[in-house]
Amino acid sequence: MLLKLVVWSILAFLLMPLVIIVLFSFHASPSLSFPFAGFSLRWYAEVLGNAQLGSALVKSLTVAGFTALITLILGTAASLAWLRLGHRGRVLLEVLCLTPIALPGLFVGVSLLVLFAQARVQLSTVTIVISHVVLALPILIVAMRARLALFDPSLEEASRDLGASQMQTFGKVTLPLIAPTLIASAILAFAVSFDEFVVTSFVAGTETTLPMYIWSMMRRTVTPLINAISTLALVFSIAILFAAWLIGHLRRRSAVASRTVS
Amino acid sequence: MKAPRSSMGGLLAAPAVLYMVVFFVVPSLILFVYSFWTAASYRIVPDFVFSNYLNSLMSPLFWTVTINAILIGLVTASVTLVLAIPVGYYLVYVSRSQVILYLILITWFSSYLVRIYAWRTLLGTSGVLNTILIQAGIVDTPVGVFLFSRFAVAITLIHIYLPFCILLVVSSLSEIKKDLVDAARDLGASPLGAFFRVIAPNAANGLVGAFMLTFVMVAGDYVTPQMLGGSSGQTTGLLIADQFRKTGNWPLGAAQAFLMFLVSIVIYLSVMGLGRATGLVVKRRPARKAGG
Repeated sequence: MLLKLVVWSILAFLLMPLVIIVLFSFHASPSLSFPFAGFSLRWYAEVLGNAQLGSALVKSLTVAGFTALITLILGTAASLAWLRLGHRGRVLLEVLCLTPIALPGLFVGVSLLVLFAQARVQLSTVTIVISHVVLALPILIVAMRARLALFDPSLEEASRDLGASQMQTFGKVTLPLIAPTLIASAILAFAVSFDEFVVTSFVAGTETTLPMYIWSMMRRTVTPLINAISTLALVFSIAILFAAWLIGHLRRRSAVASRTVS
Repeated sequence: MKAPRSSMGGLLAAPAVLYMVVFFVVPSLILFVYSFWTAASYRIVPDFVFSNYLNSLMSPLFWTVTINAILIGLVTASVTLVLAIPVGYYLVYVSRSQVILYLILITWFSSYLVRIYAWRTLLGTSGVLNTILIQAGIVDTPVGVFLFSRFAVAITLIHIYLPFCILLVVSSLSEIKKDLVDAARDLGASPLGAFFRVIAPNAANGLVGAFMLTFVMVAGDYVTPQMLGGSSGQTTGLLIADQFRKTGNWPLGAAQAFLMFLVSIVIYLSVMGLGRATGLVVKRRPARKAGG
């Protein structure tokens, strides 16, 4: 009982700042302190009328979309490879994936900046996408690896034994089995990219993503406008999380269904 | 049969491996090489000198911010782990509550900058915390030290990295069967006794891993100190970031990044040494590896 109380106090600590952010996004006055001066949607109206914010959002969505796509292609191949690799191959892949996860974003950011400078690559949206894939790919491979541990390679062998070609086996056996995992992982990569700030701040050049825009606002002032943007970002994150959960849920149901059929 | 399978594996892994080599391994190596170069009047000259390392080690500023980073890192990582353990314990052994898990994931997925901003508004002189304290009559004038201090940096970092640490603790506790805990309780151990004598030694590697990952993330974080640290709460991360943004001495920044890396390794070895000396960390065969 005491443990339960402790756990919920810790959760309250985690959630309280987010609740405060959301609450003040509806504040009728520009101040961010109590007493609360009443509810208003004026900051949300301001968000909608802000063209710079709109273009930063479009930039972020574009970057996150391309990051998710590239990560998904590279990560799927690597995860399928994982099922076929020997011990040494797996260790190599593991080291390559876990090291960037265990390093601060600062290190990854400055080393990519140095690479682009040395290769004389102009900083642009392309360099942002390249950098985001470096962050998202290891997370995707690690997440997929856990899910693919349940995958039974003998299903592929059975398909090959029954005369299916390698491409047919992939299209009709492997892909349908791993598709939900792929989609959930792509959503994860999208979320990582959409929120990324530290690495982006080094490789963005003159481009402005949504977190970069929020950062420039945060440095100048404290206004409920930032709360309104933050609340929308929060709602977006929860929606992403919900989508990933839904896909996982449906997958479990279809897995159970297929088990009863066989 | 075996050979084509594994060569197919190599072929499939190649694009991802190549990508990580080109955009992670090579840049890290270039950064290392850079740390021996020199910067003269905004131009970076290939060289082989140790002055970047020596100048950093001789600079009082470097030591001030590094000690700050280590202190903030150790305090934050310790508090984070202490808070993460009960939540992890609850999720693994008491109730696999989906509600709690998703509340943790929501905070984990909520924007990094938004959370820094949240603490900035909470701790400011006209912020929520001060308003409450004044209205409750605890203080007469707003407390200024909440914001722009090491305290502000630490509490914000705890908030940012706690969900991550909880997930790491959950995964390391999941490897220890509940039967072991039940057995200890049946034999008369108190809940805390069962934790320290049964769970902690078995989960030690995972818990130390969670502590170290949190430490590295926290000590390398430069955005939080910049927004909330004021003049007393600056860390090495910010010093390094500034070399790459403002002053433009990239080789010096590169050397400082590797010194910070070295500091993390020293801390890791110290924590492991301390754990072994106190008997909390037991050297054991990694049984997990064999199972895949």
